[in-house]
Amino acid sequence: MKNPSTRLVHVLIGKSIIETLVVGALAVFTFITILPPYFHGWGEVTNNGISGWVVNNASPWERVEVQLFVDGKFAGVGIADQSRPDVSAAGWARDPWHGYSFRLTSLRLRYHEARVYALHDSGRGARKSLQLVGDPIPFFVDDQGTITRLPSK
Amino acid sequence: MTELSKTENSFASSPVLEGRSLALWEIASVATSCLIAEWVVLSFAGRSKLTIAIPTLLALGLMYFSHRERGETLREIGFRTDNFFAACRLLLLPTAVVMALIVTLGWLASHSISLAPWRNRFLLLPLWALFQQYVLNGFINRRAQLALGRGTTSVLLVALVFSLFHFPNPMLAILTFVGGLIWAAVYQRQPNLFALALSHALSSVTLALAISPKLLESLRVGFKYFG
Repeated sequence: MKNPSTRLVHVLIGKSIIETLVVGALAVFTFITILPPYFHGWGEVTNNGISGWVVNNASPWERVEVQLFVDGKFAGVGIADQSRPDVSAAGWARDPWHGYSFRLTSLRLRYHEARVYALHDSGRGARKSLQLVGDPIPFFVDDQGTITRLPSK
Repeated sequence: MTELSKTENSFASSPVLEGRSLALWEIASVATSCLIAEWVVLSFAGRSKLTIAIPTLLALGLMYFSHRERGETLREIGFRTDNFFAACRLLLLPTAVVMALIVTLGWLASHSISLAPWRNRFLLLPLWALFQQYVLNGFINRRAQLALGRGTTSVLLVALVFSLFHFPNPMLAILTFVGGLIWAAVYQRQPNLFALALSHALSSVTLALAISPKLLESLRVGFKYFG
């Protein structure tokens, strides 16, 4: 067997560089596909639950599916398709139908934290990802079952 | 120019890069391509043939270039027929034992010998097995022998690399480690890729027919193993 020339070392280095670039490009592509930075929205405490709005800027007419988690536990799912003229008036959406609301019932007397996530499909439904919409929403439930908003952390 | 030539020559004649390290680097490079295809591309780029082709072609390109650089012929690599029966003789007993073990394992797992339905894609298995044996023994085993010499250490390295390609599927990792040991040891005595591919294809068909896909996690490897 012959001894290889330095060209083999160069080929090995070149191959490593190409593979690093491919993996890097794929990582960026995957991140953008699975967790696209196009979702905008907000959530807040109302008298009987959580409501807010979500817009997918990449698909402005889409009604985004949202999921509510309270204290880290799944609490509900809905579609952000309710009227929020204030959102479109402020320029966040092209039409007003991006609002959502969740009623909160049977929560224990204590401090809670709600998080609303936008559900995103990729890979023709093979992958689903959740993206936090707005900030976590802290609130307090008193012994009458009244929900009180608390200042955000 | 003279300085550059001197540098290049000293680089080329560096005993470190000529010997073990270069051969081990080649093994690591081909293994990396396989792992990138399994763990990254197949998982995140779906079935996009173009993306899967990138690490595959890079590995094949490197192997072709390395064979050329080292002046290896197809016959030396193992694409030959003169030692086919000699290699088959060495493989006969271990392959039969492994097949019997696979059938026993299938029986122990499901308390019955129930053959899975035949699939036409099994007909392509010999070609797929030949390709795998070429990469495993025609390239990795030959480089392992350059780096570590002929014998137990290089055989173990080949088996470990082959097993690594089947992680994190525990059943496949164990089976391929055993298969890798047998095929690498036989290749070092009788380098014939056709005989190895035959043994590999027979073992794989037995595995697919005798053991429930559930136990083998549908032969999934890489990130796909997790669902």
